[in-house]
Amino acid sequence: MGLKVENVSKHFGSKLAVDNISFEINEPGVFGLLGTNGAGKSTTIRMILGILKKDSGNITWNGKTVERKNINFGYLPEERGIYPKTKIYEQLLFFAELKGMKKEEATKEIDYWMGRLKVEEYKNMLAEKLSKGNQQKIQFIISILHNPELIVLDEPFSGLDPVNTEMLREVILELVEKGKYIVMSSHQMTSIEEFCKDIVIINKGKTVLKGNLQEIKNSYKANRLEIDTEKDISKEIEKLNMQILKQVDRNYEIAIDDEEKAYTLMKNLVNNNIKINKFELKRPSLNDIFIEKVGE
Amino acid sequence: MRDLFIVAKFTIKDMVKRKSFIISNLIILLFIVIGFNIPNIIKLFTNEDSSTAGTNMLIVDSENIFENTLTNLNEIDLGYNFTITNENLSFEDIKTKVENAEIDEAIIISNKDNQINIEYIVKNLTMIEAVPESIVNTLSSLYTNLQISKLGLTPEQIQSMSPNFTFEMKQTENQEVQGNPIAIMLISIVLFYAIYFCAYQVSSSITTEKTSKIIETLVTSTTPKTIVLGKTIGIGIVGIIQIVAIIATALISNALFLEEGILDGIIDFDNVTPFLGFITLIYFILGYAVYALLYALTGSTVSKPEDVQSANGPVAIIVIIGFYLSYFTMMNPTSELNQVAAILPISSPFCMPFRVMMGIATTSEILISIAVLAITIFIVAKISIKIYSQAILNYGSKISLKDALQMYKNKNV
Repeated sequence: MGLKVENVSKHFGSKLAVDNISFEINEPGVFGLLGTNGAGKSTTIRMILGILKKDSGNITWNGKTVERKNINFGYLPEERGIYPKTKIYEQLLFFAELKGMKKEEATKEIDYWMGRLKVEEYKNMLAEKLSKGNQQKIQFIISILHNPELIVLDEPFSGLDPVNTEMLREVILELVEKGKYIVMSSHQMTSIEEFCKDIVIINKGKTVLKGNLQEIKNSYKANRLEIDTEKDISKEIEKLNMQILKQVDRNYEIAIDDEEKAYTLMKNLVNNNIKINKFELKRPSLNDIFIEKVGE
Repeated sequence: MRDLFIVAKFTIKDMVKRKSFIISNLIILLFIVIGFNIPNIIKLFTNEDSSTAGTNMLIVDSENIFENTLTNLNEIDLGYNFTITNENLSFEDIKTKVENAEIDEAIIISNKDNQINIEYIVKNLTMIEAVPESIVNTLSSLYTNLQISKLGLTPEQIQSMSPNFTFEMKQTENQEVQGNPIAIMLISIVLFYAIYFCAYQVSSSITTEKTSKIIETLVTSTTPKTIVLGKTIGIGIVGIIQIVAIIATALISNALFLEEGILDGIIDFDNVTPFLGFITLIYFILGYAVYALLYALTGSTVSKPEDVQSANGPVAIIVIIGFYLSYFTMMNPTSELNQVAAILPISSPFCMPFRVMMGIATTSEILISIAVLAITIFIVAKISIKIYSQAILNYGSKISLKDALQMYKNKNV
């Protein structure tokens, strides 16, 4: 069950855009597809959606090879766009009908989702009169209106204000609860960390890292210590030849290459009766891992 | 098939609901109504007929040169109300009569040194290049008859002196041409503009979808083939509706506002048959399909609206070559070149309806021409859809001809 991408490659002329990529999404949830600009994410997404033919490999959905004619996925592209001179309801209905919905059913769903995303007042307005954020919400509705099992969201939060980001976040969690499979591509690592159980990082068309996000993070040793104390501890840190990365008042972020040193610092502080408010060994964030894997 | 219908329906609704579309079409229809009312408008301002019917003409023959035979003028329908006088009226007297609207025009006949002098007096000579031919001929004829009658000839002798010619025209070619070529050429020009502008709409619609990035969503909702064909059908239907509205407005305006028979000299309505209407419709559809599909191809190769013109350039050149090939050979409709123009797919949509209306197109010519167009549409559609499928998701710079050819050769699409 689910989506299976096996050894997929794609050339554009002599340029190899996607090189033997493989990953699987076996259960409902959000899967993170990461990569720098031009890494091959959009090409991979287009092949998953069946709008671009792969040169080799196999992509299956629930065991069946993905072809344009037999899929009905939802897609929110990174390139935002709706018909500027057409009323919102008319374009939502157009896309719903193209996805096989009947007018009555589509109208019901349009009303539900417009209400859910608080854009119902724009139903009979020309799209060009809407703000960028509201246009983005309309495009998001287009991608989920027909109740697809697999939804591809390319940078879903970019350009949204905090209120709308939160609204969209809730909707995505609601979709996961309903058993939807979601492929999310984003440069906002906090979003990926919040939603994704599994990820794949692509660089120059190749897979550089893939697997369960928590396991990936656990495989990295702690490289920073965050400590918050009631007294200045700069001297104690210097004594242990540790480097302060960031200091705000008596909150320190310290680089560590050995966890033992962090514990030694803690012992020293306790012995000196310095009260510790916070002591946290920090593993590399997804952002750090991403930069390490794809940064030149 | 369902998707094709949905795309076509959306395209039609999207086009006809736009304010710019409604306003521009209303203006065209309004101009047609105004155009058919021009004679009435002129009448309104001049407060008289544009023809000479009812023009009051005073003929002054103070020396009675015509020996009272001028009274016969009112028996001849020349479009004037003649008043004949033998009074000795000067130019100033006539001028006063014209200014007082007693008469519209006058003729003063006098004899100077055995030379008969005829002065034609009107209020204003602007737009009048010469004395009306009908008056010159009639007066000459009356005077000649008067002089002959004085020779004492028998009626038979007089009869034998009058010309009794019958003029006939014949041609050496077998094909006979009917109708007024100028009027029919006008129909070809209208057909050219209808095909050109409707087909151009396809290109502009495709570029709009690409520049607004809606194509990303659209192409995951249905196939590129459905998008291109649905759009082409939708815009074509709107084009047909526009043409029907224009023709209907023209016919209704003709019936309501124009005097009966006023267009008879321009269009021979006997040639305007349902068959001609059917053929014109068929050629509009086929010609539009060829050019719309070519425009779909060029429209998909650009990402910025400012590049549309240059990308469409090659297709515009083909349309213009096709039209002029048809237009110039219409001057000699029985020429072989006109026959070729009626078969070539780039010119046949403009040329064949002309040949049908002229009554020189054979059934086999029509069938061959339609077959050639159908095959062309199939080939162009295949090429356009294949290139369109790849070009629409390419947001870089304008796609060159070389890139487009490579896209066509790409088997993995």
